[in-house]
Amino acid sequence: MSGAWFVLTRVARDRSALLGLVLILGLVIVAVGAPLFATHPEDVFELHPAKRLRAPSAEAWLGTDRMGSDIYSRLLFGARITIVIGVIAVGASLIIGVPLGLIAGYYQNWFSDLLMRVSDVFLAVPQVVLAIAIAQTLGPSLPNVILALSVTYWPWFARIVYAETRSLQKEVFIESTAALGASPWRLTALHVLPNIVSPIIVRASIGMGFTILTAAALGFLGLGPPPPTPEWGRTIAEAREFLPDAWWYALAPGLAIFLTVMGFNLLGDGLRDVLDPRLRRGRSASDG
Amino acid sequence: MRQRRSWLVVVLMVSVIALSTAPAVAETRFVFANESPYDTMDPHAAFDVGRVAVRLNLYDGLYRWLDNPPVLQPWLAESHTVSPDGLVYTFKLRRGAKFHDGTEITAEDVRYSIERILALKKGAAALLATMVAPNTTKALDKSTVQFTLTKPASIFLAVVPEVHVVNAALLKKHEKDNDWGAAWLTSNDAGSGSYMLTRYDPALGFIAKRFAGHFMPWGPKYIDEIEFRLVKEDNTRVLGMIKGDYQGTGGYLPNDQVKRLREAPNVKVIEQESMRIMMFQVNNQRAPLTDVNVRRAISYAFDYDGFNKEILGGTVERNPVPIPNNLWGVPKDVKGYTYDIDKAKAELAKAKTKVDRPLTVGYLQGFSQTEQAATVMANGLRKAGIETKLVSELWPAMVERMKKPETSPDLVVYWISTYYADPNNWIGEMFHSGQWGTFKASSFYKNPKVDDLLDTALKSTDKKVREKAYQDAARIVVEDAGGVWIYNTKYFGPWAKTLEGIRFSPIGNGQEMRWVYYAK
Amino acid sequence: MRLLALALHRLLWFVPTLLGLLVVTFVISRVIPADPVALVAGETATPAQVDALRHQLGYDRPLLVQFVSYVGHLVRGDLGTSLYTTRPIADDLAARLPATIELTLVAMVVSVVVGIPLGVLCAVRRNSLLDHALRVVTVSGLAIASFWLGIMLQLLFAMRLGWTPLNGRLTGFPPHGITGLLLVDSVLTWDGAAFGNALAHLALPAATLAVPALATLVRFTRAGVLDVMQSNFVLYERAMGLPRSVIVWKYVLRNALTSTVTQMGLLFGILLAGAVVTEAVFDWPGIGTYAVNSIIRSDYNAVMGFTVWAGAIFILVNLLVDVAHTLIDPRERTV
Repeated sequence: MSGAWFVLTRVARDRSALLGLVLILGLVIVAVGAPLFATHPEDVFELHPAKRLRAPSAEAWLGTDRMGSDIYSRLLFGARITIVIGVIAVGASLIIGVPLGLIAGYYQNWFSDLLMRVSDVFLAVPQVVLAIAIAQTLGPSLPNVILALSVTYWPWFARIVYAETRSLQKEVFIESTAALGASPWRLTALHVLPNIVSPIIVRASIGMGFTILTAAALGFLGLGPPPPTPEWGRTIAEAREFLPDAWWYALAPGLAIFLTVMGFNLLGDGLRDVLDPRLRRGRSASDG
Repeated sequence: MRQRRSWLVVVLMVSVIALSTAPAVAETRFVFANESPYDTMDPHAAFDVGRVAVRLNLYDGLYRWLDNPPVLQPWLAESHTVSPDGLVYTFKLRRGAKFHDGTEITAEDVRYSIERILALKKGAAALLATMVAPNTTKALDKSTVQFTLTKPASIFLAVVPEVHVVNAALLKKHEKDNDWGAAWLTSNDAGSGSYMLTRYDPALGFIAKRFAGHFMPWGPKYIDEIEFRLVKEDNTRVLGMIKGDYQGTGGYLPNDQVKRLREAPNVKVIEQESMRIMMFQVNNQRAPLTDVNVRRAISYAFDYDGFNKEILGGTVERNPVPIPNNLWGVPKDVKGYTYDIDKAKAELAKAKTKVDRPLTVGYLQGFSQTEQAATVMANGLRKAGIETKLVSELWPAMVERMKKPETSPDLVVYWISTYYADPNNWIGEMFHSGQWGTFKASSFYKNPKVDDLLDTALKSTDKKVREKAYQDAARIVVEDAGGVWIYNTKYFGPWAKTLEGIRFSPIGNGQEMRWVYYAK
Repeated sequence: MRLLALALHRLLWFVPTLLGLLVVTFVISRVIPADPVALVAGETATPAQVDALRHQLGYDRPLLVQFVSYVGHLVRGDLGTSLYTTRPIADDLAARLPATIELTLVAMVVSVVVGIPLGVLCAVRRNSLLDHALRVVTVSGLAIASFWLGIMLQLLFAMRLGWTPLNGRLTGFPPHGITGLLLVDSVLTWDGAAFGNALAHLALPAATLAVPALATLVRFTRAGVLDVMQSNFVLYERAMGLPRSVIVWKYVLRNALTSTVTQMGLLFGILLAGAVVTEAVFDWPGIGTYAVNSIIRSDYNAVMGFTVWAGAIFILVNLLVDVAHTLIDPRERTV
């Protein structure tokens, strides 16, 4: 794994990527340590109607929401939900998309065509709409949001892996190894996979950002985890009613989303620059 | 020189064209910001409060509910008689009333209208169908129409305003595949009401202009053109009122918004007792809610004061029984339940059925007050040791779920407004076992004694008998904790300060514009 | 020849892809637990009445029969009737399409007019302060939740400052339209007030929509220009002594632009996806809100109608982009 260390040191030298890494680490620490950092950890469930909509103060650092709960504490616990959604959704998309892309890229037959057309189908409708449709059908809840996001994001992984695998096919070393009688599994595991790890990692990092934004949009539309879950998108929707007076209520969760996604985007960019300068060209177009 | 002159001519011509194509400006305009979309102009397709402006302004019924407390006034009909057995209602229509296209309104139009409602099976059809069968209504002559009920029903008169009279000849002309003109009427006007439809867009709303030939005399001042516009967000409606973009909007806004409107210099807030109960329906047919002790525990678990006084700022009245406080039929001695977690736990301890699963609490998407009420309920139940799962649906989807005990959530919070001013509108339709399958009866409550009392009240035309029956029924239902009744709304109607003549009635919510004018 | 083969190949797959999309949407919409027929029947209908209406509308037939019937209608150009509005869906879509097109076009114009020059500038002044600053700005632009941005813009410009209206497309009903695009119509009818009104309403939603598109455009215009600038023939020109500005304008820009143009398809995708959420925030009466409302209301036919329309457009645009891509750069292997 000296490769990983190499990548890490290179990334650390790129200031914006380093910033991204710091932001992400910050998010993880805050999420894991939410009970410690929160001033009112019980406010994830508790209501204090008499204290509602108070401005930021010493007692409530970011003010109180419409039920009188501490916004700051709820925001910290919301970070947990954000991470869970991002990691599982992107992870699932990866697990579905990568193998499919590998197979399609390796066996250049009707299956490849079919796979690409199927992924076209999923990419044909704006992903937000597809996610909304799935979340609405299944009912608003955390698992359903994750499912909806996984279903809409796997084509990106499949396509990237397919393209890379196909181009690798033409490489001489692959052809010669195959000619020597190596089995497809061995070929894939030992020769193809190491070469496609880079684009997958880059795509995963960018995907986290995109997934988190879409999840927040779903939460905003009321299709995410139900109350009293302190999901960030939902909190923004709740806060809308109280503008312009309680502006801090809507500002805080939005900033949280911004910092999180920024972190993943910066890291993704940095990784892309380090891992594969070749990727900076046409692939940047397929940002999603 | 010549060049300049020809330019001048061009400019003049363009200005003339521009001016002549400029739209004529109506004298006085009124814009109302509505929270639900006007997705149809057909008065027989919708019965809900959200779209009442269409029915009130573009159409007329035989009678009409006016003012507060609501009184039934003769409208298209001058009078009526009832046969001794209570089955035959004969209405005498006034003469000379006309539709917007100038044709006279006859009894045949009324007959066509009731048949159309029953055939289309939408809107008020379900309610009317329990009292009137198809093809039993007769137009005896040009101005006499006769209804023959299937059984005596004291609420028939109360509901008759919902038979909006449509222009039979006009609809027959636009009929397609036996649809009673439904496809055409979604975007058109076949009415006789005080205003005539001029523009309609289901995404935006509708505009109507004054019908000078309306049978009700117009006062010296009136509004020439009314516009009812869809404005979904509470905040936008409030800001629009403050800025003067709108001159009226719905009167059931959250308290925070009402406060802002009171402070606005060009807005006045009209406060009126209304009849609109917010409550949790409890699914009496699903274990563990079949157990009265569990239900009582739930009734003790809701923080009534916290919700009514803090979150709603004291703008609503606690209403502990399933009849609005300000209507007759309420047993005044019944105090109802209070927020008491200890009592809730005690009831749970007494219960024979144990609560071993989370209870589903349903609320309405887009109505944040129901979301907040559900959250408060969930919080109280959690304190009492019951876990909950919150689910939300759009109102029509929730209505659909509430039609069967198997699909209805354990608890659902919503309002029941005044469709007609009679206790039956609430306790009757909510707790009679024959009403299962309608959205008001998602309590799925079954108690033969209550059924008897409610039937008596429906059949009798003696107010004293009916009052006692409703009071007794209410007592039993409260004892049985058949539901959780939170508050009765007050109406806080924001209107432009310069408007006068607004006539508020809990049915209609003051959206009948023919009485209103700008005081100069 | 290769181009023709590619185009034909993709066109051949157009119908099955669309069909696949239809199947997916059909399955999703029919699996929905909520029953839209009951919605239509009304609050006070009994289950028996709902069933009667369901039979009347043909929703009790087997799924396969319903699907085949739907496709049959589709071929004839009939997108069906909306359960909720009882109007033909084609009419509903046509009525709402201009709103989305206008919003998307204005956002696209803003992003292109601002984005491409900025991208070129960044590339030409690589690693300068401007370049770094803009890099931060563009990354930020892609990290902001667009619905939150919309709300914040509303808070600042509409509520606090009162410079723009809060939402909607126009105050009140639009003047009778010719194209349905308010800016165009108001110019054609010489209605200055309407023009100003429409523009004021467009300001915030177009800005919200343009931000991610602008960020993307700046980024890969920059990347495209950098690539070209480092390519061999440009180096040759520089070696020949041509001044930098000439190189930029004559060669670099043209080449970078062509690559950007082929990415318009993706821009279109970003904008359309963004439109859905932006329209929700600003109550914009366009296709996006129509789609979301139809889904939430379980209006089967409207959801299908929207999907067919959106899917067809998307697939076509992707096809065009791929074709254009191959046309521009035959070396590029297309996926």
